[in-house]
Amino acid sequence: MNGVRVGKRMIGTQAPVIVGWENIPRVEGGPIKQFVFTWFQPTVLFALIAFWYYAPNSIAKASTAIGIGIGFKVLLLALEWFFPRHESWRLTWKELTTDLFFVGLGYTILRTVETYIGDEVWIESIQHYFDADKFTWFLGMPLLLQAFLISFIFDFGQYWMHRGMHNWYPLWLPHSVHHYITQLNINKGAVGNPVELFLIGLGIGGFFDFLPRAALLAGAIGMAVGTYQHINVRFNSPRWWRFLFHTTEHHSVHHSQDFEASRSNYTNTYIFIDRIFGTCIDGEAELLGMEGGRRMSLGEQMTFPFTEGWKSLKERFARPVAVPAE
Amino acid sequence: MSARFIDWIWHIKGSLTLAPGQSSDDAFERLRPLFREVGTTHERKGDTLVFRKKDQAAQDKMSVFDGGTLRIESGSGASVLHYHLTSRVLLLCFLAPLLFLGFAQMNLVLAKFDKPLAEELEKKNADKAEVPMHSIDKFLGAPAPEKKDEAKDKSKDKEKDKKKRLPTPGYVFAGIFAALYVVGRILEQRLVRSLFRKNLMEPQEPLLARA
Repeated sequence: MNGVRVGKRMIGTQAPVIVGWENIPRVEGGPIKQFVFTWFQPTVLFALIAFWYYAPNSIAKASTAIGIGIGFKVLLLALEWFFPRHESWRLTWKELTTDLFFVGLGYTILRTVETYIGDEVWIESIQHYFDADKFTWFLGMPLLLQAFLISFIFDFGQYWMHRGMHNWYPLWLPHSVHHYITQLNINKGAVGNPVELFLIGLGIGGFFDFLPRAALLAGAIGMAVGTYQHINVRFNSPRWWRFLFHTTEHHSVHHSQDFEASRSNYTNTYIFIDRIFGTCIDGEAELLGMEGGRRMSLGEQMTFPFTEGWKSLKERFARPVAVPAE
Repeated sequence: MSARFIDWIWHIKGSLTLAPGQSSDDAFERLRPLFREVGTTHERKGDTLVFRKKDQAAQDKMSVFDGGTLRIESGSGASVLHYHLTSRVLLLCFLAPLLFLGFAQMNLVLAKFDKPLAEELEKKNADKAEVPMHSIDKFLGAPAPEKKDEAKDKSKDKEKDKKKRLPTPGYVFAGIFAALYVVGRILEQRLVRSLFRKNLMEPQEPLLARA
């Protein structure tokens, strides 16, 4: 495969990757379908922003956000079923079951563990040490600016955490499991080794719990943009959307079987952070995964970082074998 | 207790009557594409075909199964295909509710170690402080933020931690996996039967077209 030069890198030499927005197929169908799949994403985003901006204090709660999040995922699952982007990514019973298993771990055991050793524990200590009131200058800013800054700071942190995972072997080991997924579906973001799911769950949200409405707005922005990372639906995202935000196309390149392509598009929400640091590739890929698209079993997903880590350690510290001189 | 009383959980068995006059060679030839998938090995001995799957692709039509045996029994009338397939994912899905119930029980045990919330509320009784609101937000009509109450905030944090240790999500996911198991056990049995039937019954492409 020849590949395409993007900056100093050759993309698509190992597996097919489409580079450039002009080469990406658009939604096919009548004018109504075209209209819906062009304006669905911006409409949901602005509707959610308006809802959280104006919702009375009695409604603006985390429990409402969880309810909306579940409803939104059910709607997107229905879209995946009726309007799949690729037949080769179609959700099967087995895929749905394994995806939901990881979602379940996130809602149960990982949440429990987080209350003891998660970010909120150390954030509370930091706030106590530095005197939390110093952060309250944030309160005087307009609500939407607060919300943007919260989500931007969070995504900026996630960008470097994710980039670190692709560049430092001890972090790559737990993250690599997530890269064995061979198709994008709405719950695939939850699939990964539990160690990684714990690491990726670490955030700075706890710093802003004194701004409940801004934090909810930031969460809504993250949801209305980040959820499309893993989805088997094609949208004609407007030009400004795909310039600013991380799209399914960007994320499919990140999950491509092509090694160079997978080292791009690290953000969750704001792809312009990738643009700033030169790691953005506008394009899409259908063939995803590692080792030529080998689907990892559930057991291996749980043990892979440890077994691979052990193998690497043994190789690194193995006694050199004496080679007889000829 | 004999394993056959419980093996229905992850074993799927069935049989299909072949078309009159259809030989076992023809039947296995028609089914062969199903066993040419990535990660699948198969071996045929006479009227029996044994297959194994490892790291099967997501879109493999038999990805739910890890192995099985297909046997064609010739009788006086039409031959019959008997199949016996095993699925680890069905077994794991059957057991998953127990795991999530375990997580729920663990949270109930941990909740006993939580300090009572009322005591903490009594300890702190700070005055409520005004929270500033930017003029733009006032102009746009956003609801005014609630007054800041240190004691209430502290108790809210504790309440949040307690909510994270509620058994409810464990119960919900136990229910989801119980439902998924019932759906999967019925659906996958039907799907594999119709897959075999479709392959056995549909007219074969001419040899030239296949080449």
